Amino acid sequence: MMQISFLRKINFERIIDAFLPLLAMMAALGVGAVMLLLMGSNPLQAYAAMIEGAFASTNSLADTIVRATPLLMVGLGICISFRGGVLNIGGEGQLVVGAISATVVGLSLPEAPAVMVIFLAMLAGFLAGAVWGGIPGALKAYFNVNEILSTIMMNAIAVQFMNYLLRDPLLDPDQFNAASKIPQTARLAAAFDLPRLVPTRLHLGAGIAVLLAIIVYLFLWRTSIGYRIRAVGLNPDASRYAGIDVKRYMVLSLLLSGAFAGLGGAVQVLGVHHRMFTDGSAMGFTGSAGFNGIVAALFGKLHPIGTIPASFLFGALLVGANKLQRAMQVPSAFVIALNGLVVVFVVSSEIWSRRRSRQRVIAGESHAGEMEDKLVKIPEEVHL
Amino acid sequence: MNDELIRTLASILVQSSPLMIAVCGETITERSGVINLSVDGTILLAAMTGFVLGLKTDSLLIGFLAAAIVGALMAFLVAFGSFRLRQNQVAIGFVLTLLGDDLSAFLGQNYTRIPGPVVEHLPIPYLKDIPVIGRIFFDQDLVVYFAIILAVFTWWFLNRTQPGLHLRSVGERPEASFARGINVNRLRYLYSVLGGALIGIAGAAYSLDIKVGWSDGHTRGLGWIALAIVIFGGWSPLRGAFGAILFGATKTLATVLQRTFPEVSVVAFNTIPWLLMIFVLLTVGSEFTARLILYMPKPLRGPLSRALRVSPPMALGKTFGND
Repeated sequence: MMQISFLRKINFERIIDAFLPLLAMMAALGVGAVMLLLMGSNPLQAYAAMIEGAFASTNSLADTIVRATPLLMVGLGICISFRGGVLNIGGEGQLVVGAISATVVGLSLPEAPAVMVIFLAMLAGFLAGAVWGGIPGALKAYFNVNEILSTIMMNAIAVQFMNYLLRDPLLDPDQFNAASKIPQTARLAAAFDLPRLVPTRLHLGAGIAVLLAIIVYLFLWRTSIGYRIRAVGLNPDASRYAGIDVKRYMVLSLLLSGAFAGLGGAVQVLGVHHRMFTDGSAMGFTGSAGFNGIVAALFGKLHPIGTIPASFLFGALLVGANKLQRAMQVPSAFVIALNGLVVVFVVSSEIWSRRRSRQRVIAGESHAGEMEDKLVKIPEEVHL
Repeated sequence: MNDELIRTLASILVQSSPLMIAVCGETITERSGVINLSVDGTILLAAMTGFVLGLKTDSLLIGFLAAAIVGALMAFLVAFGSFRLRQNQVAIGFVLTLLGDDLSAFLGQNYTRIPGPVVEHLPIPYLKDIPVIGRIFFDQDLVVYFAIILAVFTWWFLNRTQPGLHLRSVGERPEASFARGINVNRLRYLYSVLGGALIGIAGAAYSLDIKVGWSDGHTRGLGWIALAIVIFGGWSPLRGAFGAILFGATKTLATVLQRTFPEVSVVAFNTIPWLLMIFVLLTVGSEFTARLILYMPKPLRGPLSRALRVSPPMALGKTFGND
């Protein structure tokens, strides 16, 4: 009898935990409904427009998946870095440098075979992101520089770098001649476009991202390197005593994290925009995917496979919110605010659920092995 | 001293005064053991609130007050989430950063790029006539005076008064303070809210004085700079103020250089502050510097170590007490 009630309790708690991010999203939408009411719109009508805009037709579904792809790419990197106990807030910058590198590769090899160029462009994005993530990683491991601050600063540097390149050396010759000088590069050769899967905007990048999610899962849970990354994240001291070079794995997890975001940037160029452009900030190109990817990963409980549906849902939210904005004629800033609300609620719920699971262990209702998946993520004591 | 140089120095002081205020606020917060990472979002939201309310009521005082309240509220959320809800301070702070950014864009959308009230120039009689110093320090407006006095006062408060001693003790050894009969969390609440209010005032100082008006992402990035300067300042208000001025000086220098070398891209100069901040964080925190100092002649080691190495309050970011 004891045994059964004990199990039931755990299951009930766990079910709550599993649905917590979803509940948090609902709560955020609830607050959004109040905002809509205050602006004089009918929230039910608005959310109907939102759901319709995100799922109703093949086109809108494709839009949602296209929007989810960079979130998944960044989110996979976040899974690695947060599991490794380092916080990569630099997704925006890593997306940007990845996209720039891919664009440069595409522009400088216009005549080469498409498959080769696409591969090289992705590789370039991957490597550029790795550098952009690896620098804060090395600074953290060997010079004790707080990675939250340094990744934020790397974002700013990437944006400056992008603005420079796009306004001068990489500026589209057409824009230059037309004297409008909109800061963007020339369009890449049409041969380099990632193949479309169905006659919509959906491109191969989504498939690549899902494949990568499986690879990241296998990497983190089925290889010794992945095991060590997680061990360092769980307990750096114990890992050190076990003979793991903690610093090296810190660098590696931030480096890989940046690399996936960089690859995401490359895929955005090859699959969606076919060129690089800027509105002066990173957001114009990334659509804040660097930050939203963090939320998607947390939504997916920092599990690469869980991040797939999480990114999809979050992509749906973003696409739907845009459609809502157009249908209801609410200010576009509402979309930004709604996005922010969801981020706040989801991240808060994630932190809360982690606490709950820890308390369950302390209370003896669950054993430590079961919560391994949940525990790490955000290091408790952060050295600023 | 020539006129141009004096004017440049005075403008550096003006440019860095909001940063000085924000750094002071965050220093107080962190000295009590709390990390308020929301600085960037807080400054944005406070700048927007201060500007909009200042514009609507046509009262600067209300603008600054509202900004202070916004800052205090954000800091209270961090403290409450950390002490009562037992969440990670850094995570809450980061989420609030994003929220502040988004919310300021949303709420301030109808008030972008319109003229509003501006803090008036207020030279101090007699003092402003002192050669050189008068022009730099006493021919400014209230925000600048406030920033300077605040930095000095905070230093005095932290290091020369009993409440200041209590503040430092809860940030260094909360258990010992508790044993001495100090209510650790109450003090931490107090000083994070106070620090947050100062960060809010810094936001209004931007939108009502230094960078007048409001636009989307008006002060984006400056909060992170402030966080880095707190570390550079070794959690001392005076050194932090010095860091803020140094940062202002680099920015001014960058503009001067830009005018001198127009062929070099603006971007190179815009990147300098960020690279500088990374370099600064790298110098003050790393073991490498400590080892380097060991190679120096003995009499230099002490001063160099004090100048180049800093260490955070021992209980920074650690919550106190059981739930």
